[in-house]
Amino acid sequence: MDDRLVEEFPVNWEDDDYVTRREFFRFMTLASGGLAVGSGAIAAWTTLSRSERSLDEVKVAAADQIPVGGSIAFEYPRKGDLCLLIHKEPGHFVAYSRRCTHLSCPVDYQPELKRLYCHCHNGAFSLEDGRVLQGPPPRPLPRILIQLRQDGIYAVGIAKGEV
Amino acid sequence: MNPLKSRRHAQQAIIFVALLLFCLVLLTIQLWLFVGALEAHLRGNNGMAIPGAIVSVGVFALNVWMFLGIRRIEHQV
Repeated sequence: MDDRLVEEFPVNWEDDDYVTRREFFRFMTLASGGLAVGSGAIAAWTTLSRSERSLDEVKVAAADQIPVGGSIAFEYPRKGDLCLLIHKEPGHFVAYSRRCTHLSCPVDYQPELKRLYCHCHNGAFSLEDGRVLQGPPPRPLPRILIQLRQDGIYAVGIAKGEV
Repeated sequence: MNPLKSRRHAQQAIIFVALLLFCLVLLTIQLWLFVGALEAHLRGNNGMAIPGAIVSVGVFALNVWMFLGIRRIEHQV
């Protein structure tokens, strides 16, 4: 063998630890088991995770504060988590996260088109259930669970949008 | 070595390599299923997770069966 090659790659073949075909097959079988466990974990996660989560109750606004067709922005459940409460029809309110599911740009309510619109990439969401109407968003807007009470409208939780 | 035994040994080596390649293909399919289920879940679509997991466990069972078969053949030699 070329001396320079031996110098640059000093492999002592006698000390080298070969992997036999059977060991390689065993490794592959173990990797297969790992992937099966991973796939099972994803299935368990999707089955067991709840689509609706109850969180702290926060008063958003008084019912008469928002005219029909109007909207008000609020932060829920934490500060900085922008949401939008919309007075859809008389006495019927809906609330959604304002964060577009594409790249988190804030969405705006378009009353004339009855949809929520993201100006960044022309994404649009339905006012009925938050599903994607157009554009690149991969999943619906998370819906904020609200309750109408005597003293106002309360945000009480979040529902994940299902495709 | 006995020529008959040598030929049998060569045949077993071919079977071994064929099973190894098949195992590689199965592992690639499993990886594809895993990534597909994860991406679908992150997109909010949960329909693929359970069928993907069932197929993945089935493929794993097939791999284990092949591995045990190879061990059995080796013990017979």
